Amino acid sequence: MKTNFKTMVLTILIGCGSIFSANAQDAVTILKKMDDVMYAPKDMTGENTIILIDKSGNEEVRKAIIKQKGTDKRIFRFTSPASQAGIAVLSLPNDVMFMYLPAFGRERRIASSAKNQNFAGTDFSYDDMESVPFSDKYTPKLLKTEDDVFVLELTPKGRSDYSKVVVTIDKEHYYPMLMEYYDRGGNKVKEAKYTFKKIGNYWNAAEIEMTDLKKNHKTKMQMSDVKYDTGLSDDEFTVRKLVQ
Amino acid sequence: MNRFAEHVIKFKWLIVTAVFLLTIFFGYQITNLHINADIISSLPDDDPAAKLYKDIGKEFGGNDMGMIVLETDDVFNAGVIKRIRTITDSVRFTQGVSSVTSLTNILDIKSSEWGIEIGKLVDEYDLPTTQQKLDSLKAYVFSKEMYKGIIVSDDGTAAAIMFTLLPDVDNQAVAKEIKTKVEKLDIPEKLYFGGLPMMMNDINDLIISDIVWLVPIVFLLIAFILLLSFKSVRGVLLPLITAAISVIWTLGLMASTGYEITIISNVIPVVLLAISNAYTIHVLNSINHITLQDRKKALIQAMRYITVPVILAAVTTSIGFISFVFGAYLIMIKEFGIFTAAGTLIALLLSITFVPALISVFSMYRKNNYGENEDKQTILTHKILLPLSETLFKHPKYTLSGWIVLLVAFIIGIFQIETSVNMADYFKKDNPTRVAEDVMQKKFGGSLPIFVVFKGDLQSPGVLQMMIKTQDFLKEDPDVSVAQSVADLIEQMNDAMGEGKKIPDSKAKIEQLWFLLEGQEVMPQLVNDDLTKGVIQSKFASVDTKDIEAFTKKMNRYIEENQNDFCEIELTGMPSVYTKLNSSLIKSQYNSLLIAIVLVILIVGSILKSISKGIYSAIPIIATIVVLFGFMGIAGIPLDIATVLVASIALGIGIDYSIHVITGFNHYLKENGDGEKAIEYVILSSGKAIVINVISVSAGFLVLLLSQIVPLQNFGLLIAISMIGSGFGALTLLPAILILVNRKHKIKANNH
Repeated sequence: MKTNFKTMVLTILIGCGSIFSANAQDAVTILKKMDDVMYAPKDMTGENTIILIDKSGNEEVRKAIIKQKGTDKRIFRFTSPASQAGIAVLSLPNDVMFMYLPAFGRERRIASSAKNQNFAGTDFSYDDMESVPFSDKYTPKLLKTEDDVFVLELTPKGRSDYSKVVVTIDKEHYYPMLMEYYDRGGNKVKEAKYTFKKIGNYWNAAEIEMTDLKKNHKTKMQMSDVKYDTGLSDDEFTVRKLVQ
Repeated sequence: MNRFAEHVIKFKWLIVTAVFLLTIFFGYQITNLHINADIISSLPDDDPAAKLYKDIGKEFGGNDMGMIVLETDDVFNAGVIKRIRTITDSVRFTQGVSSVTSLTNILDIKSSEWGIEIGKLVDEYDLPTTQQKLDSLKAYVFSKEMYKGIIVSDDGTAAAIMFTLLPDVDNQAVAKEIKTKVEKLDIPEKLYFGGLPMMMNDINDLIISDIVWLVPIVFLLIAFILLLSFKSVRGVLLPLITAAISVIWTLGLMASTGYEITIISNVIPVVLLAISNAYTIHVLNSINHITLQDRKKALIQAMRYITVPVILAAVTTSIGFISFVFGAYLIMIKEFGIFTAAGTLIALLLSITFVPALISVFSMYRKNNYGENEDKQTILTHKILLPLSETLFKHPKYTLSGWIVLLVAFIIGIFQIETSVNMADYFKKDNPTRVAEDVMQKKFGGSLPIFVVFKGDLQSPGVLQMMIKTQDFLKEDPDVSVAQSVADLIEQMNDAMGEGKKIPDSKAKIEQLWFLLEGQEVMPQLVNDDLTKGVIQSKFASVDTKDIEAFTKKMNRYIEENQNDFCEIELTGMPSVYTKLNSSLIKSQYNSLLIAIVLVILIVGSILKSISKGIYSAIPIIATIVVLFGFMGIAGIPLDIATVLVASIALGIGIDYSIHVITGFNHYLKENGDGEKAIEYVILSSGKAIVINVISVSAGFLVLLLSQIVPLQNFGLLIAISMIGSGFGALTLLPAILILVNRKHKIKANNH
């Protein structure tokens, strides 16, 4: 009887353990799959429309051409409004960033250790704009599985302004639908709603709507004219190209 | 008046029931009564400087700014910096907080050969711990105007954690939560909490503690005095009940009409308790004196005698209060005037309807035993009042000259009166808010916000250059040490682009530099959304009225000379508001006092059917007001938002004593024709009532000495002094004048 009991406890423990590990395994896999969907293309070119919406509903629209290669090379070149046309931002690996202001006719390297700063008046921080795979930055935990979605809780591995990010992932295609950001005080501070569309072989984030819940301010980033895998060369992502 | 009294007796049940139900209704309304500790909201909208200050505070979030100061030997110490981060985080993660700025999270923009480095002044994940790093941080902080005197005090012994609150949150609740949270952190350094949200939270607590403590004390004290004077349950209960009901109705009326309790109106219960019991006392006295067998008839007759004098007393008192409606600058003082006047009239109404009705309903007629009371009370009459009247008759001219000498002495004092508008002075010296304000003044260049508002195209070089010029001009003043605007940031970014620390000369460049600044937390505090309005935020260190006035004058002249069609400049902030408040204090003192004196003389004169008697009756109280202002000058009690009320209130209450003396004198003179006898009669009969009333009203107001709010303490003391003065004046100065005037008449009559 005693042995039986022991065996039972042991079985339960092992059972539980495997359930937990299966869960963990699942969460990691799910996040990995999401990264695969998000960062699948080799390169991308497109037009980016940034719509800033303040708390009284006033909109301000900016447009930029965006080019991206891999996950760590990107160039933003603003085309409108006129006062900002020509301003360009080049992001390179290892947090190297250059900014070009045409009115000054020169570029400056920007080293930003303050990644929680918002990018160009949007509600996206430099941190949010980074194309680093989520699996590299966060440890996932499966919160729940529903009919169409997985809900993961992501805990940052390194330093971050967020204490956690709760992400809702489409069960069929593994693209994120909603990300909820929590500050270190445990308050939900931002949320991003994603709308994905299939373009060719890839799922494209046609619109990301980021809301700063404190300021009640919204930014919509819409992508159009998206072209994938056109074979952008590294030469596109140089200071020389930035200044031209 | 007979018919009025008969109706009261006829509808006694209706009256008692109605008062009972209304009291329940208003009592219930009081649960909706809120406290408004926001002094800024009391600034009048019809004053441009005050309106601009309110608007700018709202638009740029300045009024929602709080500050925690940490004081120690040296801020640049690993442990201290760590604790600054802990406090910063604790504030940052409080719901309702919009932004926090401190040594451990402030943005730092460095420019170098190769570019711009946007980072944090201190890496919050890797705080400096070695002495070398701490020293270099210290040297860097002190080298930059953006930090020195703003986040770390000039002497390096104090650090500031500044925060702004989101619009539409309950400022006081958030301030309270922050304070509680930070105090729980067990920081060994000394912490101070300042800024308007914190101050409002403190004021709120003071108002509550004043009401909770003072009202019961006044209530018990008056009950005790009533017991001593009347020695009967009825004599204690009825005045107290009517006073309490008038307080309940007044507060209920405030609640149901949507008004709030302020730093001034929190004194309403005490004021009403102290003055309103007098009307019931008069009614009871009158009833006691009628010895008719038929109780109902006796009651009616008593009411017939007393109704007019009581109405007169209450109306003159409410005129004192109502005079603030026309004279005061702050909205809260007008509100105080309206509702205390209303409360006084409620007390009057109750004393001439509810009191007789209640007596009739419950047959609370007095047993005929007051004879012995009268005997006991003659100690006062025989030892004090009788000798007094004898002296008066022997030396009326001496009495008059005595008063004149006294008045001359006090008139000299009047010229030494000062005004005080500094809100920090409203707190006692050891009050945490006052201490915090002092520290902020010493370590961080004061706490009086200054806003210089620029209207124009904020991205044009002209406007930005004008902002820089104005900032430089501001900083020339010894009391201004910091001034910040978006122009500073543009200069800095221009420097970072390699073109020097100056405003670029083309709009295109400015627009592109703006791109770099967008989204920074500080921007909404410096410019509005459509970039048509920008502010220089600064602070003024002195609270001295002369410094403040000189500063606003100088600035206004500068603005006059420098603004143009493209750049409109306006100045606001606490110095501007204080200047206005200061001049309005004196103006409102004149206005309300003048209105009160004229109205009182007219009313008393018309009732006594002689303007000269109206003027005679005003003489003792006017003399008292001279003594009052002289005393304020000599004792160094400044004219402030509460003490400015004293003269008119004293006039309204104190005139009653003169009215009693004059009406009594008239009455007796008509009956007996002997002026001298009439005076003696008046002093002996009315004298007692006046002395009792002076004692009970003064005692009630003296309870305000226990108030937490300094102007209210002074207010209580000064009213008590005025009551004693006007009572004494009515019993000495007025009779002396009456004797002299009467003798003159006699001589004239004899000569005929």
